[in-house]
Amino acid sequence: MRYLLGKIALFVVTLWAAVTINFLLPRMMPGSPADAAIAKLSQNGPVTPAMRAAVEAQLGVPHGSLIAQYGQYLGQIVRLDFGTSYSYFPQKVSALVSGALPWTLVLVGTVTVIAFIVGTALGALAAWKRGSWVDTFATAGSQFASAFPYFWTALLLLFFLGYVAGWFPTSGAYGDSSTPNLSLGFIGEAIAHAGLPALTILITSLGGWIIGMRNTMVNTLGEDYVTFAEANGLHPRTVALRYAARNAILPNLTSFGLVLGGVVGGSLLVETVFQYPGVGLLLFHAVTNQDYPLMQALFLMITVSVLIANFIVDVLYGVLDPRTRR
Amino acid sequence: MGTKTKARLFKAGVAVVTAAATIAVVSGCTVQTKASTSSESGSSASLLLGADNGTPTFTRNFNPFSPSTRVGTHYMYEPLQVVNSIDGKATPFLATGDTFRDPKTVDYTIRSGVKWSDGKPFTPADVLFTFDLIKKNPSLDTLGEWQHIDSISSSGNTVTFHLKGADVPAATVIDQQIIVPKHIWSSVKNPLTWTNDNPVVTGPYVLGKFAPNEYTLSKNKNYWQADKVAAKTLVLPASNTQVDIVHKGYDWAYSYISDVKGTFVAADKQHNTYWFPPGGTIALYPNLTKAPFNNLDFRRGLSYALDRDKIADDAEQGYVKAAGQTGLLLPNQNSWLNTSIPDKGAIAQDTKKALASFEKAGYTQKGGKLVDASGKQLSLTITSPNGYTDWLRGLQALQTQLKAIGIDVTLNQPQPAAYTQALNAGNFDLALGSYGGTGSTFQDFNNLLNSSFATPIGTATSANFERFKDAKTDQLLTQLKSATTTDAQKQIVDQLQQTVYDQLPAIGLFYGGLWGLFSTKDFTNWPSASNPYAPPSTWTETALLILTSIKAAS
Repeated sequence: MRYLLGKIALFVVTLWAAVTINFLLPRMMPGSPADAAIAKLSQNGPVTPAMRAAVEAQLGVPHGSLIAQYGQYLGQIVRLDFGTSYSYFPQKVSALVSGALPWTLVLVGTVTVIAFIVGTALGALAAWKRGSWVDTFATAGSQFASAFPYFWTALLLLFFLGYVAGWFPTSGAYGDSSTPNLSLGFIGEAIAHAGLPALTILITSLGGWIIGMRNTMVNTLGEDYVTFAEANGLHPRTVALRYAARNAILPNLTSFGLVLGGVVGGSLLVETVFQYPGVGLLLFHAVTNQDYPLMQALFLMITVSVLIANFIVDVLYGVLDPRTRR
Repeated sequence: MGTKTKARLFKAGVAVVTAAATIAVVSGCTVQTKASTSSESGSSASLLLGADNGTPTFTRNFNPFSPSTRVGTHYMYEPLQVVNSIDGKATPFLATGDTFRDPKTVDYTIRSGVKWSDGKPFTPADVLFTFDLIKKNPSLDTLGEWQHIDSISSSGNTVTFHLKGADVPAATVIDQQIIVPKHIWSSVKNPLTWTNDNPVVTGPYVLGKFAPNEYTLSKNKNYWQADKVAAKTLVLPASNTQVDIVHKGYDWAYSYISDVKGTFVAADKQHNTYWFPPGGTIALYPNLTKAPFNNLDFRRGLSYALDRDKIADDAEQGYVKAAGQTGLLLPNQNSWLNTSIPDKGAIAQDTKKALASFEKAGYTQKGGKLVDASGKQLSLTITSPNGYTDWLRGLQALQTQLKAIGIDVTLNQPQPAAYTQALNAGNFDLALGSYGGTGSTFQDFNNLLNSSFATPIGTATSANFERFKDAKTDQLLTQLKSATTTDAQKQIVDQLQQTVYDQLPAIGLFYGGLWGLFSTKDFTNWPSASNPYAPPSTWTETALLILTSIKAAS
């Protein structure tokens, strides 16, 4: 119980710090939202003084002193009201976020869980049969795959499977003329569009899980208690799973918690390459357009979910490893 | 975790992988059929237009006053006249023409027989209402109409604008005002945040089907010059990447594209063409409030040290030409050129002259370095927005050229927003920026030279970033405002060109291009260098000129 209370206190303090930093950071960036909008306009050609004046009048600048803004901001967080976006004016921030979140959660979430399960299982198998062809294939293969940068894998897949072979749609999350709904046809479309982004995330993230699990498990397999279990004549599978794998999975579980918390942040590079309408791309647009309200809502959502995921992992750790409870 | 659970997990994993593979194969089939149907639909009736980029999807906003309005809005509403930004010529749309009674008063004759897309007639009352609307809501006045207009009156089909002073160039600004229907907009509570989901318009197109990844515009059956509109449907997808543009068979797209001949043109040699006319001058702004940039000899030294052709080639892959030093955009404004300025204002690299000018400014070459009186090497910092890779390539060429005569050059590349802030507030030594390209010689020179924009350092301005101040130039600009004949205007513009050429308030480097990509497969008569009736821009009302000029290919 004391363990749990300590963790809750820590959670609350980090949450407050995160919320405050989230308020301060965007305001330290140079340039106002109007400057950003004008910079964007000027890429199409010189911006006349009248256009500048209108943009400034439309977007305005944050009002009041920093302290007053901070108070206003805390009030908004409690009410979950994040105001109107600057760059998607006059759209509400909450509407934008709730429009992007499902895509990211389903795509990145599902793939992350699959990658974790498949990767950890393969890693355990590779360690158990170390030196065999399974081990060589899994280890070398995953190292090869994860050595590629994310976006490079994405671009290769996009070009060869999307444009050259024409097997997958090349951008977006659903067909050109569809509007999101729950019909079977639309869901099929959405799955087809998720193919390439999902494949990219799977290829690049699988390796980490395999290597992580394999290396810890190889260590655990050398421990005295494993030798002792073997000497006792236990079934090899029991030794592998209940003695070695259960202990070896702890570090992987920690990173899984962190990664899962980060899922709501989307997968920036993959979403950018495939123009997938998720949170990562939304965040990218918010940052490049100095869209404070949108940026704050997204950063807050990401930090809070990472904190919650951490908290759950901490609690789970206590269950899995009795020593941490003390 | 028991042995059995683990085994099940292994099996589940295998099942998931197999399922994913199956989905991939199945979806592969569906997508291929889709691709083949979409290429069939490329009949002459519909025009695939790469103009509006979703972020990454479209939000429904067809409010012509909103900064985030969909690009298609510009193909639905019409202004009084469309001004071709290439040569400044006005084509009548909702007005049939304008005449100046005197330099302070201009009459617009409003076109009769025009109908809104809901069937109601368009009248001068709509024009009066629109100007009144943007007066009451200054944030809607994106063209700054009421900086010029004092009052408006009307009688019959004539709307008369009484200007604040002698201001002939104001007609260009009034021309371009989008007109909205009074019977719809008079009941809109907040015209800035209203998203105008189903626009009622006078233009060639009305909204067709809207989806987050693509929307279509259909030909307006009530359009007053319907016989001139060749494309029945415009299709605007949200994703227009360079790969899409090469592979998907666009009829018209606006995009900078690497190696256009080897990519876009090669995809369909018979039909794909491009036209990249200059859209503005990319120039080096010296901060005229600071030494040594306020020294004319120093600026001359810089100007002579540069090989502009090389900078232009490096920046835009040879798509655009080096800029002349007259302040005009060439060849667009050839007819305004001051013929007494040699070589159309082009300044060739001349190291000897450069070093002589630098010497006058107090810098001499010593051991391969250009040093001041105290022996310190001349070191320059140039500010340019981060991510504008073409500008950066040009700057790198410039950096090499200045290094060759012993000047140390540092590039400062803040994020675009921070760059804009620095430029507006005058917090720079040298900055890369663009000017001109409005089609109106008055506006171009006024924005570059008018001292009323030259606010003190630290106070943001919106033009004349170099902060040029010259009483004689201001007087010339005032005279230009009241000159009604082209000859009188030309005389003044000649002198303004001489000022830019002699004083070097901004050192022109190269022309920024407008990147028009066209296919003649289904539609012909696109604008081109030999027929520059409109710029290839997709996001302004000049697109109306294109959409009413193209013909279906036979």
